[in-house]
Amino acid sequence: MLRLFGGRLASCVVTLAASALIIFLMLEVLPGDPAAVTLGLNAAPEALAALRAEMGLDRPAPLRFLAWIGGLITGDLGLSYTYRVPVSQLIGERMAVTAPLALAAMLLACAIGVPLGVVAAANHNGPLDLAAMAFAQIGLAIPNFWFGLLLVLVFAIGLGWLPSGGFPGWQAGFWPGARSLLLPAVALALPQAAILARLTRSAMLDALQEDFVRTARAKGLASRTLLYRHALRNALIPVVTILGLQFSVLIAGAIIIENVFALPGLGRLVFQSVAQHDLIVVKDLVMLFAALAILANFAVDLLYGLIDPRLRRRA
Amino acid sequence: MNAPAAIASARRPRWWTGPSFLIGAALSGLVVLIALLSLVWTPHPPTQLAILNRLKPPSAGNWFGTDPFGRDVFSMIMVGARNSLLVGLGAVGLGLVAGTGLGLLAAVRRDGLIDNLVMRMADFTHAFPAVLTAIMMAAIHGPGILNAVIAIGVLNLPYFARLARGAALQVWTRDFVQAARAAGLTDWRITWAHVLPNIAGVLVVQATIQFALAVLAEAGLSYLGLGAQPPAPSWGRMLNEAQTFMAVQPWLAIFPGAAIALSVLGFNLLGDGLRDAIDPRLRRVR
Amino acid sequence: MTTRRDLIAGAGLAALAAQLSGRALAQAQTLASGKDSVVIAMTLEPPTLDPTSGAAQAIREVTLQNIYEGLVRMDRTGRIVPGLAESWEVAADNLVHSFRLRSGVRFHDGAPFSAETVRFSFERAVAPDSTNAQRQIFAPIASIATPDPLTVVITLKQPTANFLYGLAWGDAVIVSPATAAANRTNPVGTGPFRFVRWNRGDRLELARFDDYWGPKPALARATFRFISDPQAQVASLLAGDVDAQTNLAAPEAVPQLRASPRLSVSFGKTEGEVILATNNGRPPFDDLRVRQAIAHVLDRKTIALGVYGFNVDLIGSHFSPLHPAYVDLTNTYAVDLARAKALLAQAGHPNGFSCTLKLPPPAYARRSGEIIAALLGQIGINARIEQLEFPQWLERVFRGRDFDLSVIAHTEPLDIGNYARDDYYFQYRNPEFRALIAKIETTLPEAERNALYREAQRVLARDAVNGYLFVLPKITVTAAGLSGMWTDWPLPITPLAEVAWR
Repeated sequence: MLRLFGGRLASCVVTLAASALIIFLMLEVLPGDPAAVTLGLNAAPEALAALRAEMGLDRPAPLRFLAWIGGLITGDLGLSYTYRVPVSQLIGERMAVTAPLALAAMLLACAIGVPLGVVAAANHNGPLDLAAMAFAQIGLAIPNFWFGLLLVLVFAIGLGWLPSGGFPGWQAGFWPGARSLLLPAVALALPQAAILARLTRSAMLDALQEDFVRTARAKGLASRTLLYRHALRNALIPVVTILGLQFSVLIAGAIIIENVFALPGLGRLVFQSVAQHDLIVVKDLVMLFAALAILANFAVDLLYGLIDPRLRRRA
Repeated sequence: MNAPAAIASARRPRWWTGPSFLIGAALSGLVVLIALLSLVWTPHPPTQLAILNRLKPPSAGNWFGTDPFGRDVFSMIMVGARNSLLVGLGAVGLGLVAGTGLGLLAAVRRDGLIDNLVMRMADFTHAFPAVLTAIMMAAIHGPGILNAVIAIGVLNLPYFARLARGAALQVWTRDFVQAARAAGLTDWRITWAHVLPNIAGVLVVQATIQFALAVLAEAGLSYLGLGAQPPAPSWGRMLNEAQTFMAVQPWLAIFPGAAIALSVLGFNLLGDGLRDAIDPRLRRVR
Repeated sequence: MTTRRDLIAGAGLAALAAQLSGRALAQAQTLASGKDSVVIAMTLEPPTLDPTSGAAQAIREVTLQNIYEGLVRMDRTGRIVPGLAESWEVAADNLVHSFRLRSGVRFHDGAPFSAETVRFSFERAVAPDSTNAQRQIFAPIASIATPDPLTVVITLKQPTANFLYGLAWGDAVIVSPATAAANRTNPVGTGPFRFVRWNRGDRLELARFDDYWGPKPALARATFRFISDPQAQVASLLAGDVDAQTNLAAPEAVPQLRASPRLSVSFGKTEGEVILATNNGRPPFDDLRVRQAIAHVLDRKTIALGVYGFNVDLIGSHFSPLHPAYVDLTNTYAVDLARAKALLAQAGHPNGFSCTLKLPPPAYARRSGEIIAALLGQIGINARIEQLEFPQWLERVFRGRDFDLSVIAHTEPLDIGNYARDDYYFQYRNPEFRALIAKIETTLPEAERNALYREAQRVLARDAVNGYLFVLPKITVTAAGLSGMWTDWPLPITPLAEVAWR
């Protein structure tokens, strides 16, 4: 077990380090001077030089890479070129939008997808199964940003029940904030729910064939409820795993959805930072997304190792 | 998957396989046909401006209405199909060729190195969703159709590499391959002549499904302005431009989105159908 | 020393009187209606709150004449009126400017304002480590003397006609030595409103400054909200979440907003000339006939209609109709395809040619660009569109001059002088024009100067240096009952002291 952990940890660290290097190099070759963006069309060369020195852009690249990595490790993410405030503060503020959004979407996807999968499996090849899988196919095919637009069309423009975009901030109260996140969360949840429904269905079908279920059945546990409770418990393992792996998909979705609904979240921040050439924020954010995905992967790997002894031996 | 399940599903009539494949083939065929037709005919020239005819609702003259520049939305959607298919072909082609190559190499060598490499690459691409890669690449080279192809293609690569390796390793254990080997054929000859033809089916199925994903990803990228550049019509960008007109001209947002959804649905169903036809045991999974 | 009152100062005093009574009126109105807070939406969020260390317009829109003040200020008609200087005199040599400062002025932190603060602010702007984006405002200054705490005497190196004009900009606001360094995030000025709080990505709150030297503003609190999404702007106006939008980003929604009895919409002018920037230093655009051919196909009306859906002010040279010296030159090269083709053929391109059209992100640029590409296609010019983010546009087009054509708005007021800079990105090199601008800079009588400005406009139009398209409109949307919002933008700012509820 320790060897598995050690090996996985080592490869996780290597992947993180390589990601950091790739991100740094990619952004290093970017044309464009952050100082020029701040000072605009008529800036004097002296003013540009002064600002570049203030931003630390006059140091050689390897030094800046080391300084950046060192900062990441010690939790100092640097100062945004554009806003001139610590990046960690920016990320913290934006997290207050993205984290609830992602969480709500995840919960919503589970609430729709898992029951749908169970129902489909219980009625294997029946009409309910067909209906559930048709729903899943449509959910997979509809782009979430278009679904978002349709929701706006119906619930914001048509019925006027919910805002079409923007975020009033949590200081405006819980309900105004939650109202603004409702449509985006639904849009973000749809494809996830479709994936979960299909996965839960096949995991349930597998679990229903397992020995212990058959044993339970033989023992006289004839109640369908009990049966499905047993099966579901086992089916949930792959479902939870996929939830972890779907993390980066969710992030990618959030980047688009936050742009559809003009939400001041992390996804919009990364987009704006590229537009304003606030490279330090781009670097930190891309690294954050990458690290979260890599760590989620790592956790899933470990979980698998714990569950499945065969994997343990192979590692 | 265990035996009783396979037998159970094999015994059932194939009513699920049939419609899925048929609907999928019909929809995908329609998209391909429209794309081809747009090469020779569209109701109106798709990039011709007619400012005085701007923002007209659907009518007999403009079936899907006109955009803010007076262009015919139906013609733009027809040409947009070309763009989606092209990016899909490019991205899946890239992943298929490079990924399969790596996978076959891993299967021939049977050492951990390439295996490890592919696994790490998979980790990487998982850590960088296509959107992030495309955002960074667009920042460097400026956005464009090629960026979209590469960003999506890189994402595809590990899928094909893993699949090809797994399938190839199975083929390598088969008797006829061992016989070929005994006859003195080189590993590469065997891979080319025996392994590849035997795993082609699985790869085609995967390619169809990845194709649907690629069309979806391309739509997202061009919605964000990271895909094809104007005036070349693209479904995603049409949606982006439609957004500010939604309260007044909702059809601008409805038709391009429906085009994306129907194409993705088509290729997904086609992929499922093909999978069932090639490998009935896999029917339930996924 | 013989001195005389300058024309500008005289005009300024008259305007001040008008403005002061306007403010008093605003106050009386608000006392009647009882409502004393306002929420104003704007499209872009300022990156920082220090106009002396960044060029972003949004910084000025929030802070200038609200948080910070300069020695002089610009009123809503574009005239220079007294600010922290209650009057000034210009010596006969046009070099020595004596400013008489207001007494009893305090910064928001209680620090006193004096001649020393003025000297500090201007010296800070030209210091070696200064990051002021418009240093050239201060470039003509030879010396700054402070004979007494309420007098500043600035001596220039040469007569500079637009010196006072520059002092009204955000780059020349007066800051306090104790707080200047922190102004980016915690601004302290002498203005009628003080900074309260800023939730980045969302809103910024200001409150009335009770120790303000001037008349008490009608509003006690004001909130700026930053809503970049056009659809969200419309929704928040219709829902009454905001009381005004300084410049609507969704022109297509104008009919919808007009239909609401709660809102009023007005179209105004700005100093933003939208041009088809043309690289005069690169073939084939170095050939006058090619530029003339392009001018003959640029159907401004079509372009503006495609971008906005309604008519906006068209221009035929690099000058805003807001300025009294403006001349209408839109007919210099009338739309004429046959003539355009003939010119191209004469220039040796009978079948046209291919080039790139690099577009920055704003919607006006992207939409204009698509229409222009189609128009150019009519005479065989195949302009391939490349969309760039703003930093890339700055680096490649503006600094690197690596472009053929581009579309951009020049939003700085009175920036026709840029054409006298040989190294400027569109690389127009005309010694005659340079001499003309030099003459303008040292010609102080307004009538003479305006005549020279007219001449300059004609030269640019004739040379078809760039394609001149239209002026960025300002679409101001306000709730019924809210008065005093600027509807033109001689300077893109929103002075809150003039805003009140009826």
